[in-house]
Amino acid sequence: MSLHVITANRLHDGVSVWFAGARGWAEHVDAAATYDDAALETALAAAQPADVAAHVVDVRAVPVTREGAHLVPVAHREQIRARGPSVRADLPAGPWRDGAAPLPPLPSASSTSPHAGIYRYDEYDRDFLRQRAREFGDQVARRRVGALSEDEFKPLRLMNGVYLQLHAYMLRIAIPYGVLSATQLRQFAYVARHFDRGYGHFTTRQNIQFNWLRLEDVPAALAVLAEADLHGIQTSGNCIRNVTTDEYAGAAADEIIDPRLYAEIMRQWSTDHPEFTYLPRKFKIAITGAAHDRAAVRVHDIGIEAHRNAAGEPVFRIFAGGGLGRTPYVAIKLRDEVPVAELLRYNEAILRTYNALGRRDNLFKSRIKILIREMKPEAFIQMVEDEYAALPPDYCVLTPDLVEEVAARFVVPEFPRQDTGALAKALAGDADFAAWVERNTNPHRAPGYISVAISLKPAGGIPGDASADEMDAVADLADQYSLGEIRVSHVQNLVLPHVAKDDLYALYQGLKRAGLATANLGLVSDLISCPGMDYCALASARSIPVGQRLAERFAGREREIGTLHVNISGCINACGHHHVGHIGLLGADKNGEEVYQITLGGAADEKAAIGSIVGPAVSTEKVPDAIEAIVNAYIARREPGERFIDTYRRLGAAPFKEAFNAAR
Amino acid sequence: MPLVNTKGELIAETTIPALRVAPDAKPDAVAAQLGAYALVEIEFPKFRDGRGFTLARTLRERYGYAGDLRAVGHFLPDQFRALIGCGFTSFLTPPEHDAAQYAAALRPGRQPGQLLRRSLNRAREAQLEQQAAA
Ligand code: HEM
Ligand code: SF4
Repeated sequence: MSLHVITANRLHDGVSVWFAGARGWAEHVDAAATYDDAALETALAAAQPADVAAHVVDVRAVPVTREGAHLVPVAHREQIRARGPSVRADLPAGPWRDGAAPLPPLPSASSTSPHAGIYRYDEYDRDFLRQRAREFGDQVARRRVGALSEDEFKPLRLMNGVYLQLHAYMLRIAIPYGVLSATQLRQFAYVARHFDRGYGHFTTRQNIQFNWLRLEDVPAALAVLAEADLHGIQTSGNCIRNVTTDEYAGAAADEIIDPRLYAEIMRQWSTDHPEFTYLPRKFKIAITGAAHDRAAVRVHDIGIEAHRNAAGEPVFRIFAGGGLGRTPYVAIKLRDEVPVAELLRYNEAILRTYNALGRRDNLFKSRIKILIREMKPEAFIQMVEDEYAALPPDYCVLTPDLVEEVAARFVVPEFPRQDTGALAKALAGDADFAAWVERNTNPHRAPGYISVAISLKPAGGIPGDASADEMDAVADLADQYSLGEIRVSHVQNLVLPHVAKDDLYALYQGLKRAGLATANLGLVSDLISCPGMDYCALASARSIPVGQRLAERFAGREREIGTLHVNISGCINACGHHHVGHIGLLGADKNGEEVYQITLGGAADEKAAIGSIVGPAVSTEKVPDAIEAIVNAYIARREPGERFIDTYRRLGAAPFKEAFNAAR
Repeated sequence: MPLVNTKGELIAETTIPALRVAPDAKPDAVAAQLGAYALVEIEFPKFRDGRGFTLARTLRERYGYAGDLRAVGHFLPDQFRALIGCGFTSFLTPPEHDAAQYAAALRPGRQPGQLLRRSLNRAREAQLEQQAAA
């Protein structure tokens, strides 16, 4: 006979709670009342909230075993819910913040980053964000008194970036096209320190996630962020999400067109769009303007490549129907040269077609990628073209005035500094510095400058996590050395885009002091990882620990291996981009054991490809051996200058499969 | 059930014949019938189903429908402005949310959005808002 407890999350703070019968809801599983099969149904009925104003949500039974004085849930996920993330022993589950604690003044009140090349809001824009924060406060209040049911409230909270996860509410804030000022980063640090447990997680979609928010604090946190022009609008829900781009936009030497202007235009166009806020499913748009695609546009719902036509004017190549998740697809191309004036109109035509016809009967078939394959690409393109042709001619035209008006709000940085040779001298004198420069920098369009990647993947760390102190340190270094500007990359790192070459050595030393000079960009340990089961309610397995094992295994030889992208997801939703990793790992649960399916040959750039499964899933312990065997097969066969992915493309899967099979 | 206008005010039930349209209706098939009706009702089976927004805009913009366009079914006060923005002119409010909640969703002073939204020559949206205000 099995033993059960009843669990839920508390509405107002999201804490996982356990039903203790007449004593109500307890914060620790050991205090829970236990029920056998026969008693469970009655107990569940008693635990179910009586009305919509209930103070708990998601009430359900979970099987447990008794181990001495302790109750231990059978399911791995419930164990993590009961204890806290396995990768942060310092952060046990349970309440963590005194809501009444006084707050210090905001960083935005005293810090301005006047030179950062960001889009400047006016008071009107800022009011819009304040209003949204107040509106959400109002929605939370209506939910708490029952004027909104949980069913109705959920999409509204999602529309503001608020999820309910294993341990608490998670707040996702957009970093539009990955651009931040130092002031904004300090504001994030403030939220991490005062509303969360001291850190945040940068994601692959140029967002930051706070893992430990109390619902009742979210409106206040949003109000704080609004003061620095930051928001969680449309970072979740079935709407157009944060428009992402190249982290080196406006700085890269290989750039053709700066995509940020158009990303900002699309952000404003898609924010609160009256027609496209209740789509069949989430909708992700990415835009790039460089020869090398660093924005993964071919795996987005709409991908845009800005380039120049024969006359030298900016035009857009439009892709649609890319995506990862359960059914990964590389996007199809719709048009090569959509002119600037038509950019929004053409996107409206695509979205209109999708909103009318996308499937709403099956969550797993609701993305535009499925619609396109079910309709056949030719029929879909025809439909979009018809819709486009039928738009009123004056509707949503992006006139030169409009573009100019938005462009004028961007601060244009100047790059007066010259390279006086200080860098060359420092390189000659410090081998560690030289190694860091070789991996962690990118050529700048101004000759005296260089862009710097700050790895958020230190040995033993959690990919993409940054503490409040680290955020403050990066903000200070950005003010000092990068015109107060920071970027967030789609591989979960930070970038200082505009560093004078003469200052590079000083910056490096500053980063070293802050523990942020890990020289591993593009190497094995620079892996992408989703939060996995340590945080995520949808996970099948943990992602972070297996990544840590891999990083550890290859620590001594990753420079010799060279560029190799390892991407890890904790379930089929593919938030860790495993399909497009050179090596991808997908976590699954096999009879209670975490196992990982390995894919090879994926890529997210202009040669986008979905990786192929190399063989049966292997256990956590076996993952490092299996991957090492695959890597050894590459080292043995590579030709000079070949990266792993190049060798894989040249030879195909066979030698790697063989190596994998011998090792598993 | 209470019927409200674009200001959230209660208005009297109409008796004119209505063309009832399901969210998956083919717009060209609906368009063929539009001439015979001064009232079109678009169904919202649940508020998360946003097809009605596109259908409304399509009837207004592509087929030039100028009569009363009514939202019926389940929709939230929080969607009121978006419904108006897509061309709806009357609303049969669902039992879950009384009419007063809709009026409250149009609190004065709510500004129309960020720079581009303000500047973009959305002729129709502006027209509709003017109609609504008139
Ligand atoms: C912890 C909370 C999260 C939840 C509940 C969540 C949920 C999901 C779901 C359900 C999908 C599949 C959507 C579909 O195919 O229809 C998805 C896709 C995705 N998520 Fe997440 N996610 C979370 C965190 C993250 C994080 C931390 C990242 C970045 C590190 C991320 C980035 C993405 C990306 C890039 C995709 C795939 C792209 C695509 O939509 O095709 N997500 N997420
Ligand atoms: S891939 Fe799965 S486990 Fe990882 S964050 Fe996404 S939903 Fe969660």
